[in-house]
Formats: sequence, structure tokens, C-alpha cells
Amino acid sequence: MTNVWFLSFKKVFQQCDYDKSAQFACDTEWRMNGHVKSMYFQQFMQLATTLLTVLLLMAVNSTRTVAASRNQQCGNSLQQTLKLSRLTQKESVDLIKTYKASQGEMSELICKVSVNNVPDPNISGLEPSERIASIYTHLQAFLPHFKRVYEQQTDLQLPTSPLLTELTRISARSRSLAAVVNSFYQIIFPNLPLPEPAGGATTLPPPQNIFQQKVYGCVVLKTYKEFLSNVSRELRTIKSKVCRRRIPINTSFF
Amino acid sequence: MVSARVLQLLWLAFLSALLTRGENENHLVVAPQSPVLEMGTTFTATCMIINTAEITSDDLYWNLSKTIIPREQYTKVNRSALNVTISVSNENCEWLFCLCKEVSASIALNKGRFIHGILLKKGYRPVKPENLTCVALQEKIYISSIITCRWDSVGRQTKDVPTKYTLYLTVTLPGEHFNKTTTENRAQITFSMFPSFMELDIWVVAHNQLGAVESEHLKKESDCFVKTNPPADVRVISERSFPTSLLINWTRPIDKGLMGLTYQIRFSKNASQSWTYVPRGETSNDIQSFRIQNLQPDTVYVTQVRCKNAKESYCHWSDWTHGVTKRTPEDRPTGKPDLWAIISQGDAMNERRVQIVCKDPVFANGWIIGFDIKIQGQKGKVMNGSLKWERIPVNRSEEDYHPTQRKFDVLKDIQLPDRKSVKVEVIAVNSVGASATASLVVPEKGHERSPVEALRIWTQGGQLWLEWKPPNKSALSEYVVEWVSDNQVDWQRENRSTRLTAIKGNLKRFVCYSVSVYPIYSGWPGKAAKMEAYLEQEAPLKGPDVRLNGKPGRTHAELVWTEISARERRGFITNYTIFYSSDTKHTVVVPANTTSYTLTSLSGNTKYDICIGASTIAGLTIGSTHSFTTLKYEDGVIEFIVVGASLGFLFVVIMTLLLCVYKKDVIKRNFWPQIPNPGESTIGNWSPDYPLKAETPKENSLSGISVLNVDVCDAKCVFEEDKTSLSLKKDKYLSEEHSSGIGGSSCMSSPRQSVSDSDEGGDIADTTASTIQYSSVVASSGYKGQTPSTQPQQAVFSRSESTQPLLDCEENPDMQEVSRQSQHFPTQSCFTHATGNKDGNIRLEAEQQNEPLNFCLLDKRLPTEEQSPDWLPVTPASSYMPQLGGYRPQ
Repeated sequence: MTNVWFLSFKKVFQQCDYDKSAQFACDTEWRMNGHVKSMYFQQFMQLATTLLTVLLLMAVNSTRTVAASRNQQCGNSLQQTLKLSRLTQKESVDLIKTYKASQGEMSELICKVSVNNVPDPNISGLEPSERIASIYTHLQAFLPHFKRVYEQQTDLQLPTSPLLTELTRISARSRSLAAVVNSFYQIIFPNLPLPEPAGGATTLPPPQNIFQQKVYGCVVLKTYKEFLSNVSRELRTIKSKVCRRRIPINTSFF
Repeated sequence: MVSARVLQLLWLAFLSALLTRGENENHLVVAPQSPVLEMGTTFTATCMIINTAEITSDDLYWNLSKTIIPREQYTKVNRSALNVTISVSNENCEWLFCLCKEVSASIALNKGRFIHGILLKKGYRPVKPENLTCVALQEKIYISSIITCRWDSVGRQTKDVPTKYTLYLTVTLPGEHFNKTTTENRAQITFSMFPSFMELDIWVVAHNQLGAVESEHLKKESDCFVKTNPPADVRVISERSFPTSLLINWTRPIDKGLMGLTYQIRFSKNASQSWTYVPRGETSNDIQSFRIQNLQPDTVYVTQVRCKNAKESYCHWSDWTHGVTKRTPEDRPTGKPDLWAIISQGDAMNERRVQIVCKDPVFANGWIIGFDIKIQGQKGKVMNGSLKWERIPVNRSEEDYHPTQRKFDVLKDIQLPDRKSVKVEVIAVNSVGASATASLVVPEKGHERSPVEALRIWTQGGQLWLEWKPPNKSALSEYVVEWVSDNQVDWQRENRSTRLTAIKGNLKRFVCYSVSVYPIYSGWPGKAAKMEAYLEQEAPLKGPDVRLNGKPGRTHAELVWTEISARERRGFITNYTIFYSSDTKHTVVVPANTTSYTLTSLSGNTKYDICIGASTIAGLTIGSTHSFTTLKYEDGVIEFIVVGASLGFLFVVIMTLLLCVYKKDVIKRNFWPQIPNPGESTIGNWSPDYPLKAETPKENSLSGISVLNVDVCDAKCVFEEDKTSLSLKKDKYLSEEHSSGIGGSSCMSSPRQSVSDSDEGGDIADTTASTIQYSSVVASSGYKGQTPSTQPQQAVFSRSESTQPLLDCEENPDMQEVSRQSQHFPTQSCFTHATGNKDGNIRLEAEQQNEPLNFCLLDKRLPTEEQSPDWLPVTPASSYMPQLGGYRPQ
């Protein structure tokens, strides 16, 4: 690309030099003939046109480069988000298994009970920006619930229980995913601020008995798993909408 | 720099203010306090005088490590301040003191107030750490939350100014920051959870009191720092329908959601250290099986797999899995068997012994179970008796099955006439199928085509290298390099373009190999070019045994020794060295083809010790010592002397004999003087009673000496003679008849008394020695005794007038007569024994009793010994009258 520009400039300057060298002869001729003046102007216009064309091309190319760079950034960020959401989803599946295994009898039953005050697993919004923002908001909303479940399970489990480790992991992973989603949103919508969760702070359930705690924990994890499943699906959908195809940088425009 | 000086002055002012307040104020202050100096730089300190006008800066001096700093390094700031500049070269920390000369008594008394020092700590500026690497290991199904980083610490540091390292880690998106400080070159950072798919920014800062420097940043996705476990459950499957491939299956070590993986596969033939890597492009990401192709059938392969993050090429590879060993299925042999013929001298004349030998094909692709062979003579005649192929089974053990050490089988051993050629065809067979046919022609002897030229062999890099020039034949197809040692034969084939090659067999050191290069012309071996070579040489194991050839001479000796056996030679013999010594030591070097040598210029009658050393290029070995002594005389000298002496003696003998022969008469006259024949004597017979000349019977004309054969008393004769002698001593004039003849040596030659003409002789010996007796000798007809009763005494006593002793016949001519007569009277014949011998009488009596007495019948009238003196005079029959008065001259 740079070579092309250089050649164009060279051509123009050569033409100028050529004109300067012929200028004396032209002036002499102009004195003798009125058509000479018209010819010189025509040559000047030609030079100006060439220069303007070059400048235009440079501007367009710069824009395209920025766009391509941003698209690449978008793709990478989306890819990262998608991977992390899948990993988190997989870990949430494992966590539910571990949770059930650590809750003793009737573990299947406790997971079938519905509980209020648990974030909705569905992603809201119509536009991609809204849906991504919804993802981010949900991830933030789940964090206090994870913390509550961890606290409850700390009382119910031994300190060496793998459930506690996995709860810690899922909580940290959720924060990472939220950060990645935030980053992704910033990339594709740099001029749109990410909205804060509606309704202020997340509402946590009141004090519960052990059974309720077990039910609560399972519902939170199950809802989170469902939410992550929706996130993965949503991200695959968004991929084709928000991140345009990459344009090769070194494509020649001439 | 200016600001530093300003700060320094401010610090001095501050210190001055502090010190001014004290009661026991110090009058000297040094700035800066406790500096840390960089090695290789210069340092300036200032000493200031406070609260006294007693001294000036001219009275100050500096002391570094108890050594006064030269004044050239001082700079006088003003009347109350003095600078010193030193170069920082020693790593150890030092005290720098500012002191004052004792210009007054008060200064001498208060020395402690006029001194101030600072401790100089020295060190190096930190250098940027290099090669920062971080790794997070897989832990069960997750990734460890601990990430370990390592770096190379560059530059030097001192113990006073140590360099510390701080590892920084930032998880970019959430913006989490971690750091860890250490003095080592590794550090660990622990997360609550490994931040998968997050970007990490990692760097390390080296810092000390002299500054800080930051390493390059590692800014990667976190998964690139992960080192997973190697793939699990690696299985290699061999499928019979695919003899050249192996199928590998494995299980990924970590969940796909955590990390996408790419794999690398390598394999090697069993016992080989060289690995073959499957190209990365052949293995897709996240595969869990792979088929390795283009393998060798019936070959054991070891296979390994490893994995890493598929995203980045610079992520950490996992360790290799343990090698899984699998043998590829068998296939029919690829290529031909390596057919060759070992030709040696045959059993009969004009015959060759040809051993058809064969190695398995290079790619046997399985166990060779046998060879099919067909031997065709000239004009297509089958020599092994069948038009079909003959199967020669072979039994192989696991040890034989070693591709690097191809052994050969002897398929046939035939006797081939020199003027015949045969064509041999061989096929190798394994359990799957048969190989292509290999053929070889054994040409007629002397009809081989031209050999290679300029064959050259040398050792290099533990191998035997050969170089040759090809023969000028276009039909050349290949070469066979054959090497023989200790009846062990091996060969290898080289293609037609080969000019230089190394023997690939397992050659032994110090063994002589006969290396031959055969050009092969479309299956027809040409004439071999041969050379002997050693892979490596050393001194012979033993030296030659020397001995002498024959006996040594006086100045020379011929030495002979035997060549060292090929097994003990251990190299080419370059020469032999003969060591021989007596008083001085000598050496002689002779060529290697010599086995005898004649030492010359030796000293006679000297003992020499000799031994012979055999040399190779690697050393000398001396054989056993042999000793010999040179002769005192040269050969033939003694023989010459002996022969000369013998010849001289022989000459003398011959001359003596000749002298004897030619001077016989003279000698005879000298030794045996001529005695006149009494018979011819002109002296008449003298007898007092009888006429001088008695009738002498013709029988008495016997001349010469007659010997009386006495049968009876040989053993007693000497005794009798002694007795007689004794009696003669008693009566010197009565000599017994035992007198001897000439010289008195005759034993009882005469029974009569002999008369000695020596009147004075003490004994008979003296008598015989001094005089010549007149002896009476009985003629050979025997003395028959005198029997007076039967025959009148007719004895004639004849006496020669000569003084010479008388012969018997001469003395007793009558006795002959008597003898003749006594044949009719045998009883008288034993007169001899009748005298003086009782034993003789006893014996005679015994004889008389036992047997008829024929010869020595004893007359009863014979007197006893006591009677003998009386008897003798009255003996009527004696013809010899006893001369009692001795010999009376006549």
C-alpha cells in the first residue's frame, strides 16, 4: 500500500519538474499565443486532482485499517468471551454434580424446588448491546448469591470439601466472565456506557434453615448453569452480527 | 548533579545544627552519611569543621580502611571544609574517616571530638533479568492455581547491596495484580483460581539500593503458560492388513473446554535412539488417534505423544508419554536375498570348493523360514539334481534376528571343477511370501573379468575404509566387499558408483583381515583385488622364539626364529630387532621378511644372551632369551691337529715296519743271536764212561726246541719249581731237574737236574740271570724217564765244548733214545713227579687207585722224599751223572 502511494507521489512530482523545465518556453509561447495560458491551467488542475485523489485514498485506507483492527479485536474478544462462557458452563455442570453429591439424601429432590429472589436465567433486551449488557448484569447479579451459598455451605461442609473449592472457583470464574463481557461490550460499543443493574443491589433471601439452604444453593447453581447455557447461545448469535469480517490489511487498492 | 550537591550541603547544615546542640559536640562532620556506592564510579565526601576555630581544613586528613588517602585526592572547599574523592573499586564495605592532625595539646587530649567516619557500602546496579518464563501445571482435571516463573539473573551483586527481584503479574481484564519479591531467580504466584482465557502480563523487576530495572513483559493468554499432563492411555494397534502402519489412540489430558490441544507424535525403531517426528501439519488439533504410515513390516516401533495448547505456537509442550512398543505385522520380503559364493581349494586337483551362502534380504519383513535354491550348470543343466527349486529351511533364534548383524546361511557346499561355471538362484521365503530372485554366477577359474584398481585401505574413525578405482568395464553393476579373518567371512554390497566405502561389519581390533573387492558384472563376479588390513594395531602378544641354527662358531652364530602366529601378531610386523649381549649390548634391526640372521664379529669362548623383538607400528615385543657360548677354537682346528698327529704316527709306524722288513736280518741278529747248531758242532761227545760219540739215532737229529706236553701238573708246576728252587738252595749244586732252559723260565722242561755253572749264586734267579745254564731239554717225544732196571743205561752225556748252553737235543741225545724206548715202559715216564712232592705222591696214589695209570705209573721202588738224597746217587738208570761238585770244566 505504501509503495503505491509513493509511486503516485513520484509520478506527480516528476510531472511538476517536467513542467518547470518547460516553463520558460511556455511563457515565451504565452506571449505569442493566448492558448498557452489555457493549457497551463489545465495542467495545474490535473496535478491538483491527482493530489486530492492520493489524499482521499490515504484517508479511506486509514479508516479501513482502524475498522479492520477493531473487527479483529472484536473477534478476539468475542472468542475469548465465548470460550470462557463455555468453560464456566462446564464447570457449573460439574459443580451441580458435586453439590448434589455433597448434600446427602434427596439431593435430586431439593433441586426441583423453586425459589424466589434468584436471578432470571434468561437474557433480556432486543439489541445486541442490550443483550450483552443483560449478560453482564446477570453475571454481576449472581455473585452475591454465590457468596451466600458459599457461606451456607461452609457451615454444612467440611473445610476440605471439594464443593467449597468449586464454589470459590465458580465465583471467581463468574467475575472473570463479567470482566470479559464488559471488555467485549467496550470494544463493540465504545460509545455506549454499560448500564448498571436495574433496581439497585441484588436482593438476597432471608435467613433459612438447612433444607432451605440446600434448596437455595441448588437453585442458584442450576439457574446459573441455565443462564450460562443461554449466554453461550447468545454469544454465538452475536458473533455474526457485531463482529464484521476481517479485511486484509495489505490489500492493494489500485 | 547540582541538586545533589545542594542536598548534601543542606544535610551538612542539618547535621551541624544537631551537633551544635550537644554538650560533647563533635567538631568534625562527614557527609553524606551511610552512602551506597556503585562499583566503578568515584565518590566525593566532605568533611566540615564545626564549632571550633582551633583548626582549619588544612589540618584535616582522610583515612580509608586505616590508610591515609594521599592529599592529591583532597579538595579544599573553604577554611572549614575539605573534600576527598575516591574511586570505588573494592567490593567490601569500608570506613572512611575524617581526622585532624594533633596541632595542639587540646586536640591531642580530645581526639575523639576530632574524628568522624562513614561506612561505605558498595554494590552493582541491577541488570535487566532475562529469559523470563512462567508455567502453570495441570492439577488433576484443572489447572493449578499456582504459576511459577523463572528468569536468569544477570550481572553481579555484593552481599552489602543485594539485588532483589519482584515478580509482577497482572490479569489484564479484571485488573487483578499480584507480585512476589524474592532474592532468588524464581517465584510463585497463587491465584484463587487459574484465570483461564484471560490475558496475563508478567514481568520481573530487579532492584537494589542503587536502582531498579524491569525485564521484558510476558503478555500472553493465560493458557499459554499451562503445561498439561501428557496424553493418557496411549495405545498402539497393529493391524495385519496394514503391515506398514500402526494406529495410535490416546485420551486428551485436559478438558476441551479448558484448552484446545495440538499433538506431536514421534516414533523410532526399537533400540534406536533416533526419533522420527510426524510433521506437525499431519496432525490436526484435538485429535485423539493417528495412523503412522510407511513403516517397516515386522519391526518393533516405540511411539510417544505429547501435547500443548493449540492456540499459540510458543506455549509449553507437555512431557512425552511413556514409549509404547508395538511390532508391525509381517509382510513378504522386500528385495532380494544377499547371495554370495565363498570359493576355496577343492578336495581334488582342478576342483574348487564353492560354498553358496546367503543373507536374508535387507527387508526380510518377517522371519525367514527358508531359502529356495536352484543351481544350474553350463548349458542350463541343473546341478542339484532337480529341475525344481530346492527348499533349504533355516532355523532362526531371536538372537539371530538382528537387522544390524546380518548373519548368513550356507545353502550349498559343492565341488566345482575349475573349468566349469554355475549359475545359482536363490529366493528367500517367510511366512507371508517369497522374495525376488537373487542370482550369482560362479565363473570358470581364470576366466574372471578384470578387477578394480588401486585398492587402498586405511583406518579412520574406528572404521576400515576402502577406496578403489573402477575397472574399465561398462557392464559393471555393483561391487562386493568381502573380508576374511580366522575363517570368518562376511561381505557387503556397494553400488556401481561407489569409490569409497567403510566396512560396516563388526570388525575386531588387532585382527588381520584379508579384504577383497569384487566387481560384479551383471551377476558375474570379477577378479578380486585383495589387501590385508588391521582395524587397529598394537605390539605383538609375544616375541619370536629364537634358536641357533647349528652350533655357534668362534666369531659367528646363525640365529633362526619363527614367525609369530597371525593371532599373536596383532599388527603388521615392520621389522625384527635382534638384541645380543655379552659384556656390551648390541642391537641389529632386520627386515620383517627375515627369519634368520648370522651374527658375526663375536668373541670366542664368550657367553651371549640373545633375544628378538618383533615390531609393529604400535610397539615392540621381545621374545624369550636364548644363551649360547662361542667356541674357543674355530671348527676344524682340533680335527686338523688330530688328523695330523694320526698321519704322523702312521708314518712312523709304516717307517718302522719298513725298517723292520728291510733290516730284518740285522734286527734278528741283534735280538736273536745266532746259536750254532750243536749238531753241526765239531766238538766231540764227551763221556767218562761212554765214547764221546754215541750212536745217535736219527730221531735224535731233531733240531730246535721241543716242548713237553705235561698234562698232569700244569697247576703245580710253579709250586714244584719253587720247591725245587728251595731244594736247590739247600743244595746248590744239586739242582733239581726243574731247571729252566734259557733264562730259567721253562717250567719243568726237564725232569733232570740242571747244572749251573755259577758256584756262587744265591738263588736260581741269580743263577739264570748271570749265567747261561746248560740245559737239558727233553725232546718233544717226551721224556720217558729212566728205568734202570729195564734198560741198561745208555744215556749219552754229551757236552759241548762251547760255553753256550746246550739244547736239549744237544744235551741229552740219549734221552731221545730213552724216550723212544720208554714207549714200551710207560710206568717210568712219571719220574718227573716222583721227586720231592708228597702231595704229588698222594695224588698219584689216588690216581693209581682210581684208574689205570697209563702215563705216570709210579714205581713202588720210587724213593720217598726222605729217601731222595740217598736215592739220587744210586740211581742206576740215570744217564746223567749228578755233578756233586758242580760243574766241572771239561
